[in-house]
Amino acid sequence: MATISVDRKGALRHELETIVGAGGVLSDPEELLVYESDGLTLFRALADFVVFPRSAEQVAAVVTLANRESIPFVARGAGTGLSGGCLPAEGGLVISLMRMNRVLEVDYDNQIAVVEPGLVNLHLSWAVGPRGYYYAPDPSSQQACTIGGNIANNSGGPHTLKYGVTVNHVLGLEVVLPDGEIVWLGGRTRDALGYDIAGVFVGSEGTFGIATKIVVRIMKKPQAVKTVLAVFDHVDGASAAVSSIIARGLVPAAVEMIDQLTIQAVEDAFGCGYPRDAAAALLIELDGLAVGMESQAERIVAACREAGAREVRTAADEAERQLLWKGRKSAFGAYGRVSPAYMVMDGVIPRTKLPYVLTRVNEIVAAHGLRVGNVFHAGDGNLHPNILYDPRKPGEEARVVEAGAQIMKVCAEVGGSISGEHGIGLEKADFMPFIFSAADLAFMQKLKAAFNPTGLCNPGKMFPTKKSCVEAGPVAYRPHAIEAQGLAQRF
Amino acid sequence: MSAPLLDKLRAIVGPHHVLSGVDLSPYVVDGVTPVAAVFPGSADDIAAVMLAAAAAELPLVPWGGGTAAAVGTPPARGGVVVALSRLRAIVEHEPGDLTVTAQAGVTVAELQASLRARGQWLSLDPPDAERATLGGVLAANAAGSRRHLYGTARDLLIGVTAVTADGSIIRGGGRVVKNVAGYDLPKLFIGSYGTLGVIVEATLKLRPLPDAERLVAVPFERLKDAGAATRGLLASDLIPTAVDLLDAAAAAAMGLEAVPATLVVGFDGLGEQVDWQVGELDSIARAFGARGTVVLPPTAWSALCRAAHAAFDTPAAVMTFSVLPAMVADTIEQGTAAARKHGLASAWSAHAGVGVVTGAVRADADRSDPALVAAILTEWRAAARPGGHASVTWAPLAVKALLPVWDDAGAAARLMRAIKAQLDPRGLLNPGRFVGGV
Repeated sequence: MATISVDRKGALRHELETIVGAGGVLSDPEELLVYESDGLTLFRALADFVVFPRSAEQVAAVVTLANRESIPFVARGAGTGLSGGCLPAEGGLVISLMRMNRVLEVDYDNQIAVVEPGLVNLHLSWAVGPRGYYYAPDPSSQQACTIGGNIANNSGGPHTLKYGVTVNHVLGLEVVLPDGEIVWLGGRTRDALGYDIAGVFVGSEGTFGIATKIVVRIMKKPQAVKTVLAVFDHVDGASAAVSSIIARGLVPAAVEMIDQLTIQAVEDAFGCGYPRDAAAALLIELDGLAVGMESQAERIVAACREAGAREVRTAADEAERQLLWKGRKSAFGAYGRVSPAYMVMDGVIPRTKLPYVLTRVNEIVAAHGLRVGNVFHAGDGNLHPNILYDPRKPGEEARVVEAGAQIMKVCAEVGGSISGEHGIGLEKADFMPFIFSAADLAFMQKLKAAFNPTGLCNPGKMFPTKKSCVEAGPVAYRPHAIEAQGLAQRF
Repeated sequence: MSAPLLDKLRAIVGPHHVLSGVDLSPYVVDGVTPVAAVFPGSADDIAAVMLAAAAAELPLVPWGGGTAAAVGTPPARGGVVVALSRLRAIVEHEPGDLTVTAQAGVTVAELQASLRARGQWLSLDPPDAERATLGGVLAANAAGSRRHLYGTARDLLIGVTAVTADGSIIRGGGRVVKNVAGYDLPKLFIGSYGTLGVIVEATLKLRPLPDAERLVAVPFERLKDAGAATRGLLASDLIPTAVDLLDAAAAAAMGLEAVPATLVVGFDGLGEQVDWQVGELDSIARAFGARGTVVLPPTAWSALCRAAHAAFDTPAAVMTFSVLPAMVADTIEQGTAAARKHGLASAWSAHAGVGVVTGAVRADADRSDPALVAAILTEWRAAARPGGHASVTWAPLAVKALLPVWDDAGAAARLMRAIKAQLDPRGLLNPGRFVGGV
């Protein structure tokens, strides 16, 4: 939804080019199309410009210009988000951070790194890996997603069960505030002075400003890792095993569940060694000291067997471990094999409610005449039901959206949340009242006003609106331009 | 004084739950006596008290165990103290979810005892656990030695309920361990010293109790060697739960040999893991010049986080630093020298692995005039730069009058004031006591 008149456009383009250089501005509708959605292609919105700054000063200058002209703006990383959070919902500027992708500094003595927001998550682990360190948060999209995007969404990943999510690894941020001022929030030391603004900024979905430098903790790689695959003939058995592992006082690094539909899709696509006839499998990883690893693994195996696992095996070597993880991390991509389209849901429930909620999810999806694949972070109760559908069939997409809303309601009813790691964005803005009262939301709006009083910074996100500014109505699915060209896949 | 207000407060919380007059002496802060202290029985009571205080244009001061009440800039005037001690229920503890929801007035010790009975614990070990309340610990962002591995409140708090300046009861986060819906209000309330709302309930992540735990002291003849050993330990495969550093005065306060530097390291896990790590620590320590290691009794844990404070009967001032971990030994060395230059002794303890350092100045009958103590604190603060910061965590009023209690938050202070102005526009919640004057 472009908002700027043709007359102004030429002048603005010229000014933007003065700031970021001639090759740093897109305004051709064909080129802008690439930026009309994120990983959730259900929502689309067209920007007037996409700009590619190379420094905090350039970001600040672009933001200052946007303020002067009262044009909305939104930061964008790799565009792997799954809630429409980086869409230019009201037109205006998309500020892509992809040219700010350097590791600026690594301080091994103090176990921190200073990075730019456009750095790909996995590239940080690559940079510090040779010295025996890594960056712990590991979203499934980590080969593509950026640290800046992770900041916006407070991203998680399988290993957050033991090591926490993005915010637990961020110490400080250099930020361009929505009015164009550059400030540091937090710093390089562990405890912030004053309010933990860096902590509040993480997960604010780009509505509090744009991070331009990020101080993260890097961690020593564990001395030992053990990966266990437990195979079940009943989904309930797998759920019970999760509870049993927790009840035994074990704290694995990750506990992931993969259901039959997903196993079959993954096996078709990649052949990772999951048994095709299993009802569900758990991928469990232990890490830490070599001493005691064996006895902890025995306790895990015993818990799975007691819960009815028909087979429990341990990855024999790093190659087998990588293969098992490849199956898990590529599962979303594998759905393409079994369905023309799918919608990823993201809900969280108390772990003890897992058997009940999984049953309800299956019932809800079946009642809408659809199929669902589940692949998710069982250890921390973070569900990812993937509803499969065919967008060419009339009405099917609307049924997906309806089933998704019902699933979110179930998560809320059992004391859970409507998002564990994908964010609210555009997708779930209207679901916020499922878990927050009017007073809660009013308080959050006031907090937003402290950072973003004009509302120009990423408008239309997170809070319920009566009328979405994005083109509403049934939007038929079509592969995004970059998907169609084979340049990207959805995670 | 304020008779109509007192009547109103009695009507809200009941006549037996309002203190006034001479009964207010436990709630005097920096010489300022509150107008009243109330003991509400519910979040609704607190909301009503908030509105009553607002109508009387009086500040509202949340109060837990009072252990951190003296931290901060002296209050400009007395207000209504809201004590949380009647709100101490453990609302829900589902071991299978590894979470607990409790009211803010429960003491940390009570909460831990209840969790321990079911095989779990909250991995947060602030000082004064017998008195410190959950709400107070969150509001002051207090933590202890085990923060080295388990982090602070920001790593554990997943949900919060608070009464805000307009008398609303609001909730942020939730009861699940992973949650990105809405702004992260728990982070906002942690360490906000009651300036944004009254925390009434909190939900936190738990851990299973470890099979075994051990605390080991490593004495060094030189502070530099202890600093180098700390870096060696952090770069090793070991996974310590605590890595503390004590100077001679702090070690003596714990009943340890008063050597120039003592590294105190904690481990937990399976028995075999603890045994192996203690053995490895001994090797690392010897490589950096220590003579060996000494296993401490479990009771040493609680003394550890108070070691610097406990070195002197009544210190002249206490300052807490946040510096890079690699700078801890230098900070202690410079701080000791600065105090000595002015003729005063000091005591130091640090969570060395995370760069949190506490220094205490000894009160000396002849020499501890406020100007001298303030001069030392000013030099200490300079030692935290660049990159770190240091704030006064205890000092008499005369010293507080001579230097800012809080370090300078730079450009972020403007944002802090903007947040305060949005969420408490009339400046009623514990006003003027925190960073940037919020």
